[in-house]
Amino acid sequence: MPSEETGGRIAVLQGTLDLIVLQTLETMGPQHAYAIATRLQQVSGDLLHLNQGTLYPALVRLEQQGWIKGAWGKTETRRDAKFYAITRAGNKALARETLRWRQMSGLVDKLLSEGA
Amino acid sequence: MRRFFARLANLFHTSRRESDLAREIESHLALLEEDFERRGLPPEAARLAARRAYGGVAQAQEQHRDARSFPWIDQVFKDARYGARSLLRAPVFSLAAVVTLALGIGANTAIFSVVNAVLLRPLPYRHADRLVVALHGGTDPVAPANFIDWRDQGRSFQAMAAAEYWSANLTGTEAPEHLLGLRVTPNLLPMLGVEPLLGRQFAAGEDRKAAEHEVVLSYRLWQRLFNGDANVLGKPVTLNSDAYTVVGVMPAGFRFAPFWATRAELWVPLAFGDRVHDRGGNSLRIFGRLKDGVSLAQARAEMAAITARLERQYPGTNRDVAVMPLKEKVVGSIETPLLTLLCACGFVLLIACANVAHMLLARTSGRQKEIAVRTALGACRSRVIGQLLTESLLLAALGAVAGLLVASWGIQALVALSPAYIPRVESVAVDLRVVLFLLAITAITAVIFGLVPAMHVARGNLSDALKEGGRGGSDGVSRHRLRGFLVASEFALAFVLLIGAGLMIRSFVALQSVDPGFHPHHVLSMVVSVAGSNESEPGRRTVFYRQLLDRVRALPGVQAAGGINHLPLAGDMWGWPFAIEGRPKPRPGESPTAVYRVAMPGYFQTMRLPVLRGRAIADGDDARAPGVVMINERAAGAYWPGQDPLGQRISFDPDTQDARRDPPTWLTVIGVVKNARQGDWASAPAPEVYLAALQNQDFLGGRDSHIAYITLVARTIGDPADLASTVKRTVWSFDRNLPISEVLTMDRVVADATSQPRFEMLLFGLFAVVALLLAALGIYGVMNYSVSRRTREIGIRISLGASRAAVLRMVVRQGMMQALAGTAAGVVGALLLARLMTGMLYGVRPNDPITFGGVLVVLGLVALLAGCVPARKATRIEPTVALRSE
Repeated sequence: MPSEETGGRIAVLQGTLDLIVLQTLETMGPQHAYAIATRLQQVSGDLLHLNQGTLYPALVRLEQQGWIKGAWGKTETRRDAKFYAITRAGNKALARETLRWRQMSGLVDKLLSEGA
Repeated sequence: MRRFFARLANLFHTSRRESDLAREIESHLALLEEDFERRGLPPEAARLAARRAYGGVAQAQEQHRDARSFPWIDQVFKDARYGARSLLRAPVFSLAAVVTLALGIGANTAIFSVVNAVLLRPLPYRHADRLVVALHGGTDPVAPANFIDWRDQGRSFQAMAAAEYWSANLTGTEAPEHLLGLRVTPNLLPMLGVEPLLGRQFAAGEDRKAAEHEVVLSYRLWQRLFNGDANVLGKPVTLNSDAYTVVGVMPAGFRFAPFWATRAELWVPLAFGDRVHDRGGNSLRIFGRLKDGVSLAQARAEMAAITARLERQYPGTNRDVAVMPLKEKVVGSIETPLLTLLCACGFVLLIACANVAHMLLARTSGRQKEIAVRTALGACRSRVIGQLLTESLLLAALGAVAGLLVASWGIQALVALSPAYIPRVESVAVDLRVVLFLLAITAITAVIFGLVPAMHVARGNLSDALKEGGRGGSDGVSRHRLRGFLVASEFALAFVLLIGAGLMIRSFVALQSVDPGFHPHHVLSMVVSVAGSNESEPGRRTVFYRQLLDRVRALPGVQAAGGINHLPLAGDMWGWPFAIEGRPKPRPGESPTAVYRVAMPGYFQTMRLPVLRGRAIADGDDARAPGVVMINERAAGAYWPGQDPLGQRISFDPDTQDARRDPPTWLTVIGVVKNARQGDWASAPAPEVYLAALQNQDFLGGRDSHIAYITLVARTIGDPADLASTVKRTVWSFDRNLPISEVLTMDRVVADATSQPRFEMLLFGLFAVVALLLAALGIYGVMNYSVSRRTREIGIRISLGASRAAVLRMVVRQGMMQALAGTAAGVVGALLLARLMTGMLYGVRPNDPITFGGVLVVLGLVALLAGCVPARKATRIEPTVALRSE
């Protein structure tokens, strides 16, 4: 049961995961979920380990917010897959969220280094 | 926001989204698998690796669903579907539960709708909570001069107005009619703040002669007389032989006054004329509207100061003036009975809840295994409780729907049954507040009867449940205790209700055995008025009534006939002060007073009201003969204690002792008559006098006389109602223009006078019977269940040598113990309820030992009976069969 007791941790991850997925789609163009997952793993090395299934809630959220759009297509290996593409609203959101993330992490950095 | 709507929309596209998701996951897995194969894993290993990398498919789906939509709504729907299925699987249980709940919820809703209309809704005037009444002792009318002083001196009131009873004979129409109306000061109707439907109210120019002959009609009278003609304004009507002009029509729902003269159909302006200095003729009801920001307490304090000042100035005229909110005056007397009934009805619902709770409890124990399996498979406790509560809510909702039917039927029955004494009962209806009440009690009900079994299940130990369910053994101790508690509380509640009903019945029996003084059976009565007709001339009036009585007496089927100004119990009651010859002038306000009646010869014989000493008023007691008066026993005892009143003389002339110039009209006491009930069935009769109509100036005094009507009474051989039309025709054979009203049998009058206690007793009795039935069903159900659960145990006992009688005793004792424990608790509640009911009782003390004893016996018998049936079943258990069972 996904319930309240894990709420805090997910919330933090959620925001970041959504941001990462958006960024991935912007740089790589339309991708299916598997490709996104592979890409995330490649980029992060082994720092970010994620069950690929957990990608889906993020995709649903982004789609419901209208920041990405999914459509069925074929992979190079002629398989059916749902390809997600970033929308115009998604681009704007990405810019906004990136800025906020930068400010936030900058602030946290500053606070942490001051404390040291 | 956008996400919210997307999620909301997704509630309805579940299946498409699900298949889409499944397809996506599948493709994802396939891609993963391909990748692993490409890296050189064998197909089987590749598939496993893909699964591992992906994580739990079910979890992913679940998370997806949560993100996609609102998971809890989904759950509620699922629970409801599941609940509906499981209710349908047990139709008998479901039906029994729904019917029980429908009765409880329906009855409560019906009673609440009455409480709502009568007590909660404001009176239908603008800012009705600012309206007050001022009366002597909170009940008695006020004299004009006092009203004028209060009005002129009071600073707490935006307006103060007066109303006076007025009966009007309407003539010049097809059927002459006796109408009930009010004379009101011109500021009264505007003060109420209800706009007329047509025309206007009275012009503000107070007490002007010119405005005196205007009339405002009620909606109903307008419909009846003018067929709702919109051009009615300015039309003339003849009332008491005077021409009045219609100036306004009030809207349909408008009634005034709300606590007395409630049937008034027309309003005319009240001008005091030369009564402005009158401090003795108490005939006005005073109404006021508090100024903004003035509290009731302030207004009371100011009125107390004013009346104290006036009392010093004019002793005996301004005593004990009470200012109270209009609403309190209207509903004050009915508040306790209605709330007591609502309370009783609530108890019935609680008993119903207890019954349904143990039906559910019995059922959940049957479902123990199912629940244990669900828990074992990972359902958490809150989900199991949620599921069970959803089922309860579903049951309650069904109960509420059926209850609404019961309620609408019950409301009709209540309104039809309810005596005229319940003010505003005509406005009872299901409104928003009633619906909210229904929803609230439904939800509360569901929680009460659902939570107990649900908590119980959830608390239970999983492995125990699986084992216990599997073995089919006896119940656990705590479950057993819970069931005992439910039965006990049912009996406690039933006891309280039965005490309530028992007291009402005892009180009603006491009321029924009250001797009204007269014999009401076979008596027909009707008011025959002469006002406005040719017969109203003083000379003709006497002749007319005498001849009328003679002709009525001559009718076949009539044994005797007579007449009186106001019929006891049904008619008006005038209390007048008088003076006794030879006694010193009493201090102001302390004169002897008596209920003032004016009788025609034959009245006492017709009513079979025994003359104890002396003689009755006879034909010879007319204007030429010396004045005579009869008094009742109470008057004899009060004013001539230890003396013989016969031959004593009294006078009703004002200021008898001072008026040396005019010798007062002395009336000689000629007879003492048995006490008859007067205005109120339950109150002891006050001193009363009967004057001879044929020599009475109030009756003979011409056009302006007080009494221009007589209530004709006739004793018949058969059913008096059969003679009504014959007697009416006899009246009209003199003059087709004579209005006849209030055609009643005396039995009906008595029934109406006792209608409030009868109504309360009926409802209380009904609730008590339902409560008793439910409690009996409850104990039966529990015992039956317990016997069936203990089949093996009892079988073992019997095979080990327990006698059937011992088994019977054991089972019955168990039930009786529970019932007794409950009853003991009920005694406390019953004593409290009885205290609350004191005001509703007559001739019986709230802690009446006969009622308490009787109820104990009845409850004990019911518990015994309800326990005996399952107990007998237990004794018939065959050990061999029982041991093999399950």
